[in-house]
Amino acid sequence: MHELPWLPSTLPDFNERCSHIADSENLIDEVRLLANCCISINQSNRLARAINKLTDENRNKLSGAFSPFKLGLVSNATMDLFVPSFIVSALRKGILLDVITADFGQIAQEAFDPESVLNRAKPDAVLLALDYRAYSFSANALAMSNADCDSQEALGFLKNVRNAFMQNSGVICITQTLASPPFALAGSFDLQKDGMIRKEIQKFNTGLIEDLNTTSDILMDVSSLANQVGANDWFDERQWYMSKVPIANRFIPLYADYLSRQIAALRGKNKKCLVLDLDNTLWGGVIGDDGLDGIKIGQGNPIGEAHLAIQQYAAELKKLGVILAVCSKNEPDIAREPFRQHPDMLLKEKDFAVFVANWEDKASNIREIANMLNIGLDSLVFVDDNPAEREIVRTLVPEVAVPELPQDPSLIPRTLSAAGYFDIINLTSDDIKRSAQYAENVQREQIRQKSGSVDAYLASLDMKIAFSEFDELGRKRITQLINKTNQFNLTTKRYTEVEVRHFEKSNDAYTMQARLVDRFGDNGMISVIICKDVDDCWEIDTWLMSCRVIKRRVEESMCDRLVDAARKKGITKLRGIYRPTEKNKLVKEHYKGLGFSLVNTEHDEDIWELNISDYKQKNPPISII
Amino acid sequence: MSFDKINVIDKLETIFSDTFSEDDYVFSSETGRDDIDEWDSLNHIRLLTAIEAEFGFQFDLNEIEELTSVSAIADIIQNRLN
Repeated sequence: MHELPWLPSTLPDFNERCSHIADSENLIDEVRLLANCCISINQSNRLARAINKLTDENRNKLSGAFSPFKLGLVSNATMDLFVPSFIVSALRKGILLDVITADFGQIAQEAFDPESVLNRAKPDAVLLALDYRAYSFSANALAMSNADCDSQEALGFLKNVRNAFMQNSGVICITQTLASPPFALAGSFDLQKDGMIRKEIQKFNTGLIEDLNTTSDILMDVSSLANQVGANDWFDERQWYMSKVPIANRFIPLYADYLSRQIAALRGKNKKCLVLDLDNTLWGGVIGDDGLDGIKIGQGNPIGEAHLAIQQYAAELKKLGVILAVCSKNEPDIAREPFRQHPDMLLKEKDFAVFVANWEDKASNIREIANMLNIGLDSLVFVDDNPAEREIVRTLVPEVAVPELPQDPSLIPRTLSAAGYFDIINLTSDDIKRSAQYAENVQREQIRQKSGSVDAYLASLDMKIAFSEFDELGRKRITQLINKTNQFNLTTKRYTEVEVRHFEKSNDAYTMQARLVDRFGDNGMISVIICKDVDDCWEIDTWLMSCRVIKRRVEESMCDRLVDAARKKGITKLRGIYRPTEKNKLVKEHYKGLGFSLVNTEHDEDIWELNISDYKQKNPPISII
Repeated sequence: MSFDKINVIDKLETIFSDTFSEDDYVFSSETGRDDIDEWDSLNHIRLLTAIEAEFGFQFDLNEIEELTSVSAIADIIQNRLN
């Protein structure tokens, strides 16, 4: 039984390695390796226990590479068996999860009482792990709902619960659609008659999706997940009767992985780039051996259709902003032939932001791809039909997600989709443009390498910047940047959309968002600043910038603007903080470059100050619009 | 395929050590629920899930009631497999 087919199978010495995890040479890589194999609930339990036993010092090491997240959990069912799997799945997504579990069935109490366990714990999100049995219309009923209760009432109850959590602790809720249990009273008619559970569940799900449109609460579509595996397998009445375990045990790792994707998306840890092999991945056969006439791609041949479906899947992901890249062991010219000459190829060269075909090893090539795109290795998914290549990349570049693939190419889109690497919780217009932007970036880089001086290069980019304070329109993108920017990020503070809105409305905060256009295209929103007003000083709580525009003096333009705004408000001093993480060494000297002085270093944090009156305008070659 | 009881008990030993973290009990065919503190109702579910995954069948509710010792579990497994 293998419910997570995209993960490599477990290690033979898994238990042994869990016991000695604290002694491993590289704790982060070891945790990543153990969490990234397909493990049973018993093994999840073992690994979660080993993580919990780590010393504070070791935990701190982990929180450098894994983003901490506190999850509250309420349920109408017994969730104890789930928690270890939650922790392990979260690690798989780069999240160090802390779970606070409410007592069984304490849904309303936890939400409405401001002093409840969860409201006091102030989690980053609350999972409302409620299945159909949580709601009055189906409680203690099998297929026909209880009199006088319907899905409308259930939605009202859920809305009250969500609102209460928001009011009492400003926390967002992860909310589930309902899976339909495998019972009917009158067959298909169950779906036509109000008051039948099957019909009420369907109304509930439709209503819930609409309700969530107007909030920042997150949807977790459990109904589709259950459909994928089949309700007969998903529900296990034995376990419900024995201990109120809501789903068949063997699907707990799958459910946990599904949850962790939503948390990853909240933290901006979803993947950005799909790196594809060519031979026997994008087409059947080997272009170098079989030639243009010999490879199988397109209609009319089952293998050709299966590979076409893989191309379709990639093309559609691209429409959602996923960057595509090629990494192939081939003669460069031959690898490009099908894209240029084969009439049945759906993907064209221009669909790829980076196209690497050579005889170097794939691990180095993948590093190079990340480098050219200026994104982290942990943003990449590498798809290759060759198990040896997958293994090499997994070993040499453990940050990269490398799915196991079935031998049969017709099963590949399904497997990739089940892994949910690119799951998102919302879609901004910047996301949609993203893949084009990265391709433009690669072009910019090529120009930079050709043009001699940096300043001449920057001037040739013809950059235009627009500033404004936070607003409703930008809120989603601001939240996204705050949660996923790691390198150019001075303090790496993460805020939810609710908190961002709070800054937007606050009189004690000065906020700034910046958008950048250049001759290659619109970069969209690229930088965010949050200052807190402390007497006559602005303390820069957050300053971050998207990696694709670093080394372009954008920060100087922003600093000019910031100082200007501060001066107008009668502020005399700016205070900047650099809080080091594993990933933000890039900006250690950021404030120094802008003319701030280091005044103090406490708990590893560097405190920098700038007297407004001493500031010298930077005037970089960027015009303001 | 026929399984003899010794064979089944060997496999159960691995499953037990995987399911329970405590190691201050001696595993034998006589080991029962009273011998393992961790063998509560939730760990019982973990145990039977692991057994089901290993042997490829599902216990029915009546059988689950009877899974109270290594020997009893092995008997039921043998019944189901042979």
